[in-house]
Amino acid sequence: MIKHHPRYELIQSFVHGDLPASLSAAISIHAEMCSTCQKQITLLTDQVAELSFEESQFKTSDDDYISNIDFEKMIEGITQSNDIDVKKAVEIKTIYFKSKPYNLPITLNNIGLGKTANIGRLAKSRLQLNENEIHTNLLHMEPGGSVPEHTHKGFELTLLLEGSFHDDRGIYVKGDFIMLDGNHTHRPVSDSGCLCYTVANDALHFTQGINKLLNPIGSFIY
Amino acid sequence: MRTHLLSKVTNVKSNNMSDKINHPQLCQWLNDVAMTRDKKAFTGLFEFFAPKIQRIARGKFPNEAQACEVVQETMSNVWRKAHLFNKDKGAATTWVYTVMRNVTFDLLRKIKGNKEDNLSDDIWPLAESLVSNNETFDDHLENKELLSVIDKLPEAQQQVVKGFYFMEMSQEELADHLNLPLGTIKSRLRLALAKLKVQLGENHD
Repeated sequence: MIKHHPRYELIQSFVHGDLPASLSAAISIHAEMCSTCQKQITLLTDQVAELSFEESQFKTSDDDYISNIDFEKMIEGITQSNDIDVKKAVEIKTIYFKSKPYNLPITLNNIGLGKTANIGRLAKSRLQLNENEIHTNLLHMEPGGSVPEHTHKGFELTLLLEGSFHDDRGIYVKGDFIMLDGNHTHRPVSDSGCLCYTVANDALHFTQGINKLLNPIGSFIY
Repeated sequence: MRTHLLSKVTNVKSNNMSDKINHPQLCQWLNDVAMTRDKKAFTGLFEFFAPKIQRIARGKFPNEAQACEVVQETMSNVWRKAHLFNKDKGAATTWVYTVMRNVTFDLLRKIKGNKEDNLSDDIWPLAESLVSNNETFDDHLENKELLSVIDKLPEAQQQVVKGFYFMEMSQEELADHLNLPLGTIKSRLRLALAKLKVQLGENHD
C-alpha cells in the first residue's frame, strides 16, 4: 500500500501549474496510482477554478484596468476555423532495462529519454526536460542493487514506478512518493529490483568512508 | 491603509452572493459550441472568460503580448475542444481552468528557453469520459432535434458522426473500425459538420 504522498503545499502548486515539469509529472504519475491524492487534486482544481473565475476576484483591485485586446476581432478569428481537436488514442510505451520490459507511465510519453548508462547494478536514463540544475532520471536497480549512503544538498524525489526498495526508515512500494532534503541521510537497497523516477536539484553527497572517493556515482545518479 | 484593506475584504464578501457563477449557462454554451459550432454561444463564453483569463495571465507573464497569447490560445482551444467537455465529469469552470493552466504552463516553459514540447496535456489530461457504447448513447441523444438532423445525413457520414461524437472514438479508431483511410474519415466528418451547420441554422432561423 502507498504510504508516502506529496505534501499538500506541493499538490496546491501542482494544481496552480507552478511546479517545474519534472515535479508536475511526478505528481501526475503518483495520482494515477493513488486515488486519495487524485480526489484531493480534483477537489482542489474545482475550488481554484471557481475562485479564479468569480467576478469578485476582479472587481476590487483592477477597476482601472482597460484591456487592450480587440476581443471582437479575436472571436471572429477563432470562430472562422472549423477545425476540431481529436483525441489521439493513448499509446503505452515500453522501456527496457537489462532486457526487462517496463510500461512507461503515459505522462512521460512525449519526453525524450537519453541513452542508458550503467554502473554495477544501477542503470539510469536521463529525461530531456532541460530544467537547468533540476535533473530527472529513470533509475533502475537490479535485485540486490543499492545506492551508497548519501545525503542531499538540495532535494531528491524518488517515485517508485515498479518494485520496491528499503532504507533505514522502512520499505517503499510502487507508487510511493518520497521527498528528501539535506537533512536526510539514507542508503536505499532493493532486494528484488525496482524502477524509480527521480528528480534532484543537486548532485548527491556521499557521507561514508570509501564512498567519498566514489564521487562519480553521485553525479551518475544526479 | 489597514482599514482600507479591511473594507476591501468585506467588499469581496458582499459581492460574492451576487457574483455566483451561472454554471448551467456556461455548460449550455459549451454544449452549443460542441454540437452546432454556435458562434453566439462562443461569444457568451468569450465574454465571461476572456477578460478574466487576461488578468490572471498578466500576473504570470511579464508582458502584455504574452498575456494576450494565453487568451488567444485558451479560447481557441475551447472552440476546438468543446466536444471533449463532459458536464458529468466536472464544472465548465474547471474545464476551462484546466485548458488555461495548460496553455500557460506550456508557454512559460517555452519562454524560459526550455522546450516547445507541450507536455501539459500529458501532465493534466482534460477530463474526458471513457465511454462504452449504449448508455452514453442515451445520455447524449437527449437532443432529439440534432439526432433527427443527423439521421438525414448519408449513411456513410452518419457512421462517422455517431462514432466520433457519441461513441467518442478517435478518427484513427474510426478509420480502423470502418476499414477506411484516415483522409476519408476526416473529409466525411468535415462534410457532415458543414451539412449539420446548415440544417440546424435553417431550423433555428
